[in-house]
Amino acid sequence: MAGWPNPSTVLGKAATRVDGPAKVTGQAKYAYDVQPAGWLYGMILRSKWPAAKVTKIDLTKAQSMPGVKAAILAGGDQRTVRYYGQELAAVAATTKQQCLDAIRAIEVTAEPLPFVVKEDDAIKPDSPRVFDKTPNLSDPKLEENGKVDAAMAQAAAVCEAELRTQIQLHHPLETHGNTISVQGDHVTAWASTQGVFSVRDGLAGNLGVPQSNVQVICDYMGGGFGAKFGPGAHGGIAAQLSKAAGAPVKLMLNRLEQGLAVGNRPSSIQKLKFAADKDGKLLAADIENYGSPGVGGGGQTAGGGGGSNIAMPYIYGFPNSRTKQFGVALNTGAASAFRAPGHPPASFSTESMMDELAVKLGIDPVEFRLKNDGNEIRRREFQEGAKRFGWAEKYKKPGSSPGPIKTGVGCAGGGWGGGGGGTKAEVQINPDGTVEVRCGTQDLGTGSRTVVAIVAAEAFGLHPNDIKVKIGDTNLPPSGGSGGSSTTASISPAIWDTCQKALAALQQQTGVTDARGANWEGACRKLGINPLTANGEWQKGLSSSGAGGVNFAEVEVDTETGFVRLKKIVAVHDCGLIVNPLATTSQVNGGVVSGIGYALYEERVMDRQTGLLLNINFDSYKIPNIADMPDIEVVLIDLPERGVIGIGEPAVIPVAGAIANAVANAIGVRVHSLPITPAKVLAALGKVPNVSRV
Amino acid sequence: MNSFQYVTAHTLDEAASLLGKNGRYLAGGIDLLGEMKDYIVSPDVLVNVKEMSPQSEFKAIRLTNKDACLIGASVTVAEIAAHDDVKRVLPGLAEAAGEVGSPQIRNVASLAGNLLQHSRCWYYRQPDIACLKRGGSTCYAQEGENKYSALFSGCACISPVVSNLSVILAALGATVQLRRKGDLHELTIPELYQEAWRNPSAHHSLQPGDLVLHVTIPLKRTRSAYRQQSEKAEFDWAMVSCAAAGNVAAGKVTDVRIALGAIAPVPHMVEEAHHFLEGKPLNDATASQAADLLLKGAKPLAQNGYKVPLAHTLIRRTLLALNA
Repeated sequence: MAGWPNPSTVLGKAATRVDGPAKVTGQAKYAYDVQPAGWLYGMILRSKWPAAKVTKIDLTKAQSMPGVKAAILAGGDQRTVRYYGQELAAVAATTKQQCLDAIRAIEVTAEPLPFVVKEDDAIKPDSPRVFDKTPNLSDPKLEENGKVDAAMAQAAAVCEAELRTQIQLHHPLETHGNTISVQGDHVTAWASTQGVFSVRDGLAGNLGVPQSNVQVICDYMGGGFGAKFGPGAHGGIAAQLSKAAGAPVKLMLNRLEQGLAVGNRPSSIQKLKFAADKDGKLLAADIENYGSPGVGGGGQTAGGGGGSNIAMPYIYGFPNSRTKQFGVALNTGAASAFRAPGHPPASFSTESMMDELAVKLGIDPVEFRLKNDGNEIRRREFQEGAKRFGWAEKYKKPGSSPGPIKTGVGCAGGGWGGGGGGTKAEVQINPDGTVEVRCGTQDLGTGSRTVVAIVAAEAFGLHPNDIKVKIGDTNLPPSGGSGGSSTTASISPAIWDTCQKALAALQQQTGVTDARGANWEGACRKLGINPLTANGEWQKGLSSSGAGGVNFAEVEVDTETGFVRLKKIVAVHDCGLIVNPLATTSQVNGGVVSGIGYALYEERVMDRQTGLLLNINFDSYKIPNIADMPDIEVVLIDLPERGVIGIGEPAVIPVAGAIANAVANAIGVRVHSLPITPAKVLAALGKVPNVSRV
Repeated sequence: MNSFQYVTAHTLDEAASLLGKNGRYLAGGIDLLGEMKDYIVSPDVLVNVKEMSPQSEFKAIRLTNKDACLIGASVTVAEIAAHDDVKRVLPGLAEAAGEVGSPQIRNVASLAGNLLQHSRCWYYRQPDIACLKRGGSTCYAQEGENKYSALFSGCACISPVVSNLSVILAALGATVQLRRKGDLHELTIPELYQEAWRNPSAHHSLQPGDLVLHVTIPLKRTRSAYRQQSEKAEFDWAMVSCAAAGNVAAGKVTDVRIALGAIAPVPHMVEEAHHFLEGKPLNDATASQAADLLLKGAKPLAQNGYKVPLAHTLIRRTLLALNA
C-alpha cells in the first residue's frame, strides 16, 4: 500500500515493548497505584436481591462511623432493582476496613420481587418478567436470503442440532475502577480504561461540568476485553463520592463485583439446520438463536455493544439462509462488548455443523471448508495451517483412535472487520534530538505504546527506544477507544502522517536534505533553541479492514474421566501489515488462551432459587492456568500491501470451534454446549445415567 | 472482616487459655482468613500456634520407630509433599499433598488446616446466601447447582469433604491426636469427620477449643497411591479423589483400604470393598468389582451423576497403581 516504506527498517520487525522494563519492575503506575494527597477508599453497596422494590435506604448510621467522609445514594432511594449486584449506595472512608464496616451499616428496606436468571425459564410464558411492560423474549430479528426450505428439500446431507454457549465473564486481572479527584468543577481521573475520552465525556455528563475541565489519565491498564469503555456506574459513583467528600477517591471493584455488574459475553441457544449438496457445496442454513444480555437491552448489535445477536450465518457461503434471533431478558447484570462480540459463539456453532456435514458427506473437513469459503486469504490460511499442523496425517475418522485415551483433531475459522480512523497526533522534536510523540490513545495491554514508537522510529530512522511516547491522557490529541480491533489501524497512520510532517518541517527549517538516522542529531541541533512541533492525523491508504484466521487443534480425551487435554493449537492469522510481529504473536497467544477458557472452563453460574451468582472467585470461575496450555504455534500471514489491520478480536474467534471439533473427532460424539467439561464428555459418551442432553 | 485480637501461644496451656469463647487457632490461615474476609466466620481472637513448643511435636515429620510416621499439625503441605521419608514410605501421601492448591498455597497451608478446612460448596461460600450449613433452613444444592455436590450424605447438607489429605490418611489408617479440655484424645480419620455426616452445620467432629497436635500414620501398608481428577490440570479442586493403601506380595493384595474424596461429607470408605479384595490379585476385574461395592447406593442428583463413572475410573486406577 502506498505510503508505507518498502523495505522498512523498524516497521514489521520484532520489537520488545518500550514499557516492558517499567511493567516488570513495578514502576508502571496503574489506576490502582495512584495515590493523590488525601485520597480515600470508595466502596459500593449492591443489591442482595435479584429483583426488589427498594423503599428506603438509610445512610445515617454509615455517615457517622469512624473515618467515613461521604455516604451517598447510587440512584434513588425508592426504585426497582433488577439484578444481584445493582448499585444502591456508596461510601468513602480513610481505610478499606472503615468502608467495609460502613457499607454493612447502611440499612436497606426492600420488598423482594419475583425474578428469573436462567434463559430456559425466562422464555416460558408464565415466567416472572424482568421488565414490567415487555416480555422477557424479544420479538425476533429476522433475516432471510433465498429459499431455505426448497434448498433443504434438495440437499444430499442435512444436519440439525441445538448448540449452546455459556455466559462468559471478562475478569481482567486488573478489576474495573478509577481514582478520581473532583475539585470544584475540575476533575482529574486515573482510570483503568480502554477509552480515556469516553471516560472524560461520561464523567463530565455525570458531574455536569465542561468536558474541557475533565482530565482522564490511563498510563497503564491491566486488561479490559471490551468491558472498560466509559466511566461505568462505579466511575460515576467514585466521582460523586469525591465531590461529596472533598477528597480524591479510589474505587476499584473486587472479584465478586467484577462478576456481577460490569458486563459479560451473552449466552446463545442455537437451533440450527444446515444443508449441503453431494459435491460438498453448502446449500442452506436455518438458524434460530436465543441469547441473553441480562438486563441489557438491544438485540441488534452483533459486532459490538451489549446485544445478544450473533454473527450468523457465519463466514461460509450459504446461498440460502434464514436467521431468527431473539433476546432473552434476565435478572442478571447487563452484557457488554467482549472480544469479538457475537463471533466466537457463531464460529463454534457453525464449525460444529460444518464438521457434522463433512462427516456425513464423507469429505475431509478442511477440503469441505475450502469448497465453501469465499475468502481467498482464509482459504490460504486453511491450507497453510493444515500443512503446519500435519492435518493429512493426523485426521482420522471420528472416534477411531484406539484405547481409552483418544486423540482427535479439528479446525475452525473466523473473520473480523476492524479498520481505523479518527486519530490525531502531535510530535515534538527537541534541539538535542529527543523526540516526543503524543497521542490520546491508550494501551489496552496490546502494545500500543510500542506501536507508536515503532512508527515514529521508522519515520525518523531511529530506534523505538529513542522515542518518548505520551499516550493515555485526554490532554493529548484525541483518539478513539481501544475496541473493535481498530487501535493499531487508527494510530499507525496518524503517527506516520504526523512524523512525515515533522520530518518535512525539520528538513525545511534546517536545510538538511535527509535528516533521518545518522543525520538526525546534527539536523536537530540546527533547530536552535526552539523545539519543532507538528500535528497530523489518520489518513486513508495506510490501513484497511477485514482480517481472518483459522485454528487447528489437537486434543487427547480420557474417555474414562472425561478430561480433555489440549496437545497443540496452530493459529494462522492475517492482519495486513504487521507492525510488530512480536506483539502480534503475543496477541494471538492471548486470544488462544482466552478461547481455551471459553471452550473448556469458563461459565457464569447463576442459582435459579436465589437469583445469585455462585462462582464468585477464581476457584470456581475457572480460567485456564499455565498447566492447561498446549503447544501454541502462531503463524502470521504478513500482507503489507493491505495496510494496517487489527488482530485483537480475530485471535479469539476460531479457538472454541476448533477444540470442540477436535473433541468430537476424538470421541466420535459431540458435546453440544460450551464449556466442554469432563461431566459433559462423560455424558456425551453415554456413561452418565439419566442425562438427557449435553 | 471484623476486627480481632492476634496473640501468640507458646505452650498448650497458654493456647487454651488465650482462645476464649470465640477464638480460633491460626496456623496457615488459608481457609480461616478467607472465611473471615467473607464474614462467614468472625472470631474475636486468633491464637497463633506456629510458635508452640516443643517444635518437634508441631512442626516436624519423623518416623517414630519402624512402625509409624508422626507429622506435626503445623507442618506445611509443601513439606509433606517434598519430604524424603514420606515419599519413600508413604508415596500416596506425598502425591496427595502435591495436588493441594498451588505452590503458594502449599507453602503456607498446614496439615491440620487442610484436614479441618470448611466446605467449598458454592452456596456455603456465597456471602449473600444463608444455606443450611450456614444456619439457614435450605440446602440449595439439593435442587440447584449440584455439579460438585456429594453422592452420599447422612444429612440434608450435601457438601463433600474436599481435603486431599483426609482421603489418603483415611486409606492409610492414620489417627489424629488432639488436646481437648486439657486431655489428650485420639480420633481415627472416620471419627474426625463423622459429625459432618450427620450434622448439616458441621465440617468435622472437633469441638470448639480442640487443638490438633499431630497425625500418626502406621507404616504397616507399604504401598499407597492417590489419584484425583479436576476440571483443570492443576490448581483446581478435585471433582473426585481417591486414595488406596495396602500390601502387595506374590501378586496378592492384603490389608487394603480405599477412600474417596469429594463424594461424601466424610472420606468415603466401604468395608465390604476391603474384605472383597483381601488376598486377591489387583486387576481390572477385581478393581472394578471393588469400585462397584464402593459406589453402591450412590444417590446422584441432577448434575453430579458423572461422579459415579469418574469415581469408578479413579478407584480402578488407584488400586492398580498399588501393583507398581
